Formats: sequence, structure tokens, C-alpha cells
Amino acid sequence: MANHRVGETGLTDSGPSSNHHHHHHNIPYAVLHGMNVPQSFMHQEGPAFDFGELEEAIVLQGVKIRNDEAKPPLFTAGRPEATLEMFPSWPMRFQQTPRGSSKSGGESTDSGSGVNTISSKTENQVEPESPISKKTSSLDQQQQVDMASDISRTGTSQNQSAAAKTPQEKRRGSTSEKQLDAKTLRRLAQNREAARKSRLRKKAYVQQLESSRIKLTQLEQDLQRARSQGFFLGGCAGTVGNISSGAAIFDIEYSRWLEDDQRHMSELRTGLNAHLSDSDLRIIVDSYISHYDEIFRLKVAAAKADVFHLITGMWTTPAERCFLWMGGFRPSDLIKMLISQLDPLTEQQVMGIYSLQHSSQQAEEALTQGLEQLQQSLIDTIAGGPVIDGMQQMAVALGKLANLEGFVRQADNLRQQTLHQLSRILTVRQAARCFLMIGEYYGRLRALSSLWASRPRESMMSEDHSCQTTTELQMVQPSQNHFSNF
Amino acid sequence: MHYQGDYYWGYYMPTRSIGSDPMERVVKLASEKAVVIFSLSSCCMCHAVKRLFCGMGVNPTVYELDQDPRGKDLETALMRLLGNSQPVPVVFIGGKLIGAMDRVMASHINGTLVPLLKEAGALWL
Repeated sequence: MANHRVGETGLTDSGPSSNHHHHHHNIPYAVLHGMNVPQSFMHQEGPAFDFGELEEAIVLQGVKIRNDEAKPPLFTAGRPEATLEMFPSWPMRFQQTPRGSSKSGGESTDSGSGVNTISSKTENQVEPESPISKKTSSLDQQQQVDMASDISRTGTSQNQSAAAKTPQEKRRGSTSEKQLDAKTLRRLAQNREAARKSRLRKKAYVQQLESSRIKLTQLEQDLQRARSQGFFLGGCAGTVGNISSGAAIFDIEYSRWLEDDQRHMSELRTGLNAHLSDSDLRIIVDSYISHYDEIFRLKVAAAKADVFHLITGMWTTPAERCFLWMGGFRPSDLIKMLISQLDPLTEQQVMGIYSLQHSSQQAEEALTQGLEQLQQSLIDTIAGGPVIDGMQQMAVALGKLANLEGFVRQADNLRQQTLHQLSRILTVRQAARCFLMIGEYYGRLRALSSLWASRPRESMMSEDHSCQTTTELQMVQPSQNHFSNF
Repeated sequence: MHYQGDYYWGYYMPTRSIGSDPMERVVKLASEKAVVIFSLSSCCMCHAVKRLFCGMGVNPTVYELDQDPRGKDLETALMRLLGNSQPVPVVFIGGKLIGAMDRVMASHINGTLVPLLKEAGALWL
């Protein structure tokens, strides 16, 4: 019963050629019930309802032909033979169909419905005139197969299957007994071939559509997530195209990192409130430090890909960008922010924190001066007097610009070292509180950016602002993330 | 140290005889002064590291390799020593290799740089 498995992709022996039971349960369940057929279904070349089979059944009813030898591959897709004489007992309108209805659009829908009709009336051969006519027209051209024709059938087995089928066709109900001739066989084979090609094309097209759709929803989700984090893509929704791929990748990674940050922070919070043991809390704190290590790792790659994106702060929110130093936060500012909140501290700890603040200030100053020298050197290169060789000048400037990456990296290194040193100076509980404070601080800064962007403006309206303010404030929907720490 | 007078000739002799071994020269130069920085005059990161030490009140000895006739060899030796793509800046304190900018900054932040400087006599607070 292997032939009855939906999803079977074997091309060789599946299908009617090896199937001795031509009942309607060959038809895939989904098609039979008109369900939306999933993409995977399209892969199957397994047993299913088969137009060629039906056609032959109709044509060759009662005729026992052994054509195994007479199977030269003259089954090329092409114009259908004159078929008018094939069904003298059928109504005349059948004759118009082969060349006339060569449109792809409607026909597959009709065949789709035709299938369902056929499926329920396998024994009744009078009915399915349209599918056959449609099928012959399918030979006509390379058409974009689309809609509902969910009939899958054997592929390459067609060529061999015709002959093997014929003895079985006798058993099917049929309209009329017809003498088989070469023309008929050829036409039938061509039909099958063309239909097969149509199905393959349709399959490819549907696959393409599916993957595009998935990609689109993923992009939309990422965009949505990034936006909900208060992150502004260059301040304008429509300029996504202006962002380099390295920058776009980093932006997505950063928004994911922010989500993780929320998770870590709630872990810290619950850990502190639950009064966990020091060793348990240490695990949480260490994982938070690794979380920070990860963003610095990501920034290394981002600096290599698009240093301007980092150094101009386009990856952060406007408020953060305002206080940006060399592509990120200024370590000494962070320590300044923390110092008052970290009480109580031992004297040794106080000394450690102050010396950390001092050394980070010195390091920041050194890097800033180095960057200033780079800027000056760059200005000199580009401004330089008589431009003897413009390209050479540009090449030199490019070389100097490459040093920017090094500075951003050193700045990130400084940030990372500062955080590590903090965790060394502080006890586990203090460190947990400290990192929670850092996370909340930047969360508020991001929230500030959102609020600022949606604040009531006195744009072009000159009327009373007070009520406008009220309504707009009511309209401001801060995202959950921003205010969870207030 | 009295090497400058008596061993003046001896000071130059080694560089000529070991001119083919830049690494030895690096080590030798590094051990001569408390704080030694190998640099390039055009390098901005080198400028940053110099500013760092000056900002701390240290007076480093700086060797600008682009002004040294055999500077290229020294650069290669330094690159091999650090396994870096950038030959400079490289900092030695008390003859010991500290490293490039990232190592220097890390050791300053974790508080190990100042003791080293004091030990080498470059800093007295």
C-alpha cells in the first residue's frame, strides 16, 4: 500500500503504473475535500488522481493493448493532435476547446473543480468533458500555472505507465470503446507531458511565493520588535533602504539583545527579591556579564562591517545618541551615575570605585585625543592644497579612515573592562543591584527617546494647546518595556 | 648606570652585529628604559597611548619606527611578538612586555598598570 502514501516523492514506480486499484481514494485527501493544500503536498509524485489515466480510460475502455514495446518517446509536449474525431459520441462543443482555450488563468480553476466532480463520479464518464478539453489546451504554451489544480501524478513514469495502464483501464467505467491508434497515444502522451511540466512550473512558483511570504513576515516581525524597543531606524520609517547590510544585521542583533536584556533584568530582580544564596546570585550575575560580553562581540563585527553606523550612534535611540561617546556609553559617566546608588560600600570598595572612575576617565581622554588626531590628519589629507592626484589623496584618506574601527574597538574594550572591574570590586548582591541599575537607566533613556518623539508639538496648529496636550498625552502609549522599571 | 661613557662603543657595537636580529634589538631597547613605547609617527592609536601615559604623569621613551633606518624589521619583529596585524603601538614597562593598546587599557582599568609603573620607577605618587 505504499503507493497510497501522500508525500511520497518517488518518481519511478509510484502511480497508476503499479497501482492496481483505481478507486477514488487515490485522490489526495486534501484535494478531494477541497482543502488548502500545503506546499509539501506539491512534492509528491505519488499516486493520485491522474488526468491522463482518466482520459485513457475513457478512450481505451475495453481495449486490451499491449504497447510496452511500442513506447518510443514520441511524447513531446506540443500542439495537440486533432482530437475531434476521438469522441464522436460526445457533444460538439468539445471540438472548440483545444486551441481556443489556451489561457492559463481560468483553466486550472476549472480543472480543479473538475477534479472534485470526477472524483465523486469516477464511474460516470459522461461528465468530465471539460477537464479533458482543458487538459489538451494545457499543452499549448508555457503557462504560469497557479491556482487550484492540485492534482499530482506520476512524472517520468508517465512514459512507461501508459502501456502498463492500459490493461487496467479496461476495468474502469467508460463511455465508449474506442480503437486505439498511434495518434491517440501520442496525443495522450503529449497531454501528460505538458500537464506534468505545468505542474512542475506551478510547484516552483508556489515554492517561491511561500518562501517570500515567510521572509516578509519575518522581516515585519523584526521591524516590529525593533520599533517596540524604542529603536529608531535612522529616525524615519521609509529609509530602511539606506542602511548597509552590516548595519541592518547589527540592528536586528541589537534588538534581540535588548529583549534578552529585559529577561536578564527580571532574573536579577527576582533573584534579589527572593534573597537567593550568594552562589546562586553569582550565577545570575555572571550570566548578565556574559550577556554584555556578547554585545561587545557583536559590536566588533559591526565595527568591521560599518563603523560609521556605530560611531554615529544610528543603532541607538536619540537620547542615547546625545550622550554617545565613541560608539557607545561613556564608562566614567556610568560610574558617576552608579556611585551614589551603590551605598553602602566599604572603604576599600569606595577607593576601588573612585580609582576605576579615575582610570576610565584617563583612558577615555587618551582615546579621545587619539581620535582627534585622526580627524585632524584626515582633514589635512582631504583639504590638502593643490590636488595633484585626487585618487591618491582619496586612497590615503581611506587608509586613515580605516583607523576608526580601531578606536571604536578600543572604546568598547574599555566599556567591557569597566563592567568586569565593577563586578570584581562589588559583592555579589551589590553587583546584582548595580547591573539592574545600569539596565534600568538605559531603559529609561530609551523611554525618554520614545516620549520625546511623541511629545505634543506646536506644529502648524495655532489653536489652544492645552486640550491638545491632554489628548496627545493620553494617546502616548509607552511600551511595556520602558516603564516596567519605574 | 655608566654604560653611556665606557660602553659607548659597546652600545653601538651590538646593534651592528645583531643588526640582522631585530627581535634582540627590540628586547634590548625595551629593557633600557622604564617605559618604552614603539610607535609610528603617523599612527593615531600610538598618539592615544602616548597621551595616556603623559596624562598619568609618566614620561615614556618613544621609538618612532618610521624614523629608524631599520624600522621595518622592528615592525615585523613586533608583529610576530604580539601575533597582531598592527605592529604598533607596543608598550614595555620595566623591560616587560605589556602589549598593544587593548592590553594597556585593560591593565589600567583593572588596576595593575599603576603598580607596574611604580615598580619600574616611572611613577611616584
